[in-house]
Amino acid sequence: MNLFYRSMIRFGVVAGALASAPVLVAQGVSSDTLLHPPKDSWPIYHGDYSGKRHSALTQITPQNVKNLTLAWAFQTNQVAQLKSAPLLVDGILYFTVPDNIWAVDARSGRLVWHHSSPTTKGLHIGHRGVAVYKDKLYYTTTDAHLQCLDARDGKVKWDVEIADANKGQWATMSPLIVGNHVMVGASGDFDNLQGFIRSVDPETGATQWQWDATPPVGTPKTTTGGNAWVTGTYDPELNLVYWGTGNPTPVLNGKVRPGDNLYTCSIVALNPETGKLVWAFQPSPHDTHDWDAVEIPVLVDGDFHGKPHNMLMQASRNGYFFVLDRTNGKSLLTTPFGPVNWTLGVDKDGRPIPNPDKEPAPDGRLIAPDEGGMTNYRSPSFDPKTGLFIVSAAPSYSLYFAKPADGTYGWAGADYGLWKKGVLEAIDYQTGKIRWSHELGEGSPGSGVLTTASGLVFTGDVAGNFLALDTADGRTLWHAYSGSGINGGPETYELDGRQYVLMTSGSVLFAWSLPEAEHAGPARAAK
Amino acid sequence: MVRMLRQAFFCKRLALKVLLPSACVLTLVGVAYGQNQGPARPKSTVGSQGPLPVHEAFSAAAIEAGGSLFQQHCAFCHGRDAGGGESGPDLTRSKLVFDDKNGEAIGAIIRNGRLEKGMPKFSLGDAEVMNLVAFVHSQQDKALSQSGNRKGVDTSDLQTGNVEKGREYFNGAGTCVKCHSATGDLAGVATRYEGLKLEQQMLYPRNVKAKVRVTERNGRTSAGTLAFQDEFTIALIDGNGVYRSWSKRDVTYKVDAPVKAHVELFDKYTDADIHNLMAYIQTLR
Repeated sequence: MNLFYRSMIRFGVVAGALASAPVLVAQGVSSDTLLHPPKDSWPIYHGDYSGKRHSALTQITPQNVKNLTLAWAFQTNQVAQLKSAPLLVDGILYFTVPDNIWAVDARSGRLVWHHSSPTTKGLHIGHRGVAVYKDKLYYTTTDAHLQCLDARDGKVKWDVEIADANKGQWATMSPLIVGNHVMVGASGDFDNLQGFIRSVDPETGATQWQWDATPPVGTPKTTTGGNAWVTGTYDPELNLVYWGTGNPTPVLNGKVRPGDNLYTCSIVALNPETGKLVWAFQPSPHDTHDWDAVEIPVLVDGDFHGKPHNMLMQASRNGYFFVLDRTNGKSLLTTPFGPVNWTLGVDKDGRPIPNPDKEPAPDGRLIAPDEGGMTNYRSPSFDPKTGLFIVSAAPSYSLYFAKPADGTYGWAGADYGLWKKGVLEAIDYQTGKIRWSHELGEGSPGSGVLTTASGLVFTGDVAGNFLALDTADGRTLWHAYSGSGINGGPETYELDGRQYVLMTSGSVLFAWSLPEAEHAGPARAAK
Repeated sequence: MVRMLRQAFFCKRLALKVLLPSACVLTLVGVAYGQNQGPARPKSTVGSQGPLPVHEAFSAAAIEAGGSLFQQHCAFCHGRDAGGGESGPDLTRSKLVFDDKNGEAIGAIIRNGRLEKGMPKFSLGDAEVMNLVAFVHSQQDKALSQSGNRKGVDTSDLQTGNVEKGREYFNGAGTCVKCHSATGDLAGVATRYEGLKLEQQMLYPRNVKAKVRVTERNGRTSAGTLAFQDEFTIALIDGNGVYRSWSKRDVTYKVDAPVKAHVELFDKYTDADIHNLMAYIQTLR
């Protein structure tokens, strides 16, 4: 009996219902499924609430990964790049590009349905995927609405506005669902707008609460911004959701917004029932380089310098790796994971101290990393066995300019990248030291990272190669050229005793597995 | 003469653009003259290469439709006003936009992308592409007719350095003379580039070709310009213009990429070093 069925029984599904399991399951991605995702599912953006992107699956190993072969590929026939994290529920994958949602059979790659939204004036920079709860999907539109769709056919059941697209916000996010709370934020820093996280009712779309990252627009001498645009994580024991917030606005001109600009570029812990702030930690006080702190707040329980801790780890866009105590937001470790030149050091609370001489200036400042940052929305992974936090890093240099004539609205300056490369960094979380590095090539890396309990790392390089590496030392064990740039993160699941690895490149979704005869795992689910 | 030509081109362009009765055109020509006779605006990186070009006329409807498409597909990287944003260049100062008459250059880039620079391709219909072209041109026209009170980098912004200190750095701590000579390869460099372009080229030259020599197991060697390499493959264009590639497992190879020395310098410069060096490099005319 596989884990999935076992978990169903635990959740009170009577054994006699197993024969009609698909129908039954279609009714319910329950809160319990989200808390304990079965191995034949990927029901949350990160795979689970922790954001570790670490899978317990072990059929594909460092020894046999060289035999990995294509199970199927799905062509979206769109020019838009896939940046979405496909969700897997009941054997069906759900994924997106702006204005489009697909439901695809995870065994065969065949289309189940395709929903195409009317296009909007919102920015179409990318889409990160849907969320699922019970038999509904939750999708953020390009013009910052939240839609609830029937998972069976993609029919829209309701639609509520999350932010006013006419003012300049848009949406890309896969919502975070905890209990009966659907949490979303918006994007948009070309205008001086207020960032927020809002919780809505999954049945009706009615607002339950909203937490604002910054004061209302127009409050003198304060910042705007702080958009939350990457899915947060959740600790059920502490009952806290963790979100990263975006950069302040005006983006490159910090003079009109003195001080730290809370809560922009922050990691915040909120109570999911009320939206009340429990604690906040700011990776980039008074940011002037567009370094959102929205990167995944990864939740890890383990030893830190000899004592057990409930930790939160973030490799931040500003080039620093942070380890926090997630019960209270106190710093355990702050260390750069690549070349940074914008600070005067780290303060007693573990926050980098921005160097005023490195704020954008009329004659330009050389800044490392560049605006895209040392990393970005691409997900890192934490491997519990080795204690490695593995992140796709981008050492980079750029020139930042701002002058009074650039004004105080939106971008308010200009910046130009000079040079950039990709390196996969395996960080020892207890010391911040890099245990191994794997060069990914010159240019911008875009792939997320997945680790598995068998000791494998899956990711992609700048040229567009899918890679499987040995977690112990970063050696390449398998690769395949994908034919385009990689902008999504690898995922894995097991169906019918067969482990699949999903990877996206360009507008194509690839599913890899071992050749049929080599399945080491159990045969079909016990019946 | 050049100035007159420039004005003539500008007037023709305005006339083409607005398609108004001739009396109105005359009024507009007057405005154009008025602008040109006002205080000289700082030289931007566009427009310094010769007379203003003749662009196709675009309707207000095309510009508006293009603006809407631009917000959806382009604004994230190039900014809402095409003046540059996250990662994408300021199109209002783009030479390519400047030289484009009727979408032949802009359209090709929209359709094919510039993948090596991170610009994706877009699958849009011909009419949509032309609307985008109309919008980008209208934004550049607007920017060129302004007096510089917008974001962007003017050559005059980059004049805070000291020539002598720059010369010293060039010949000393900067180690520039290991590869370069002010009277050799860099002679006249400030006539080939200026302003921000010059500073960018100075810090990290774009599109510099590396050389590579590949040795197969049987001892046969091939040499040429490095065409591609990743972790697994190396490829070159040989002396006959022929592309050849090898699996890296099967060969040894040596890449000669002197441009890498610029990467080594990034951690060593102060901002003052860069500004001084820029002051000196600008004297190499």
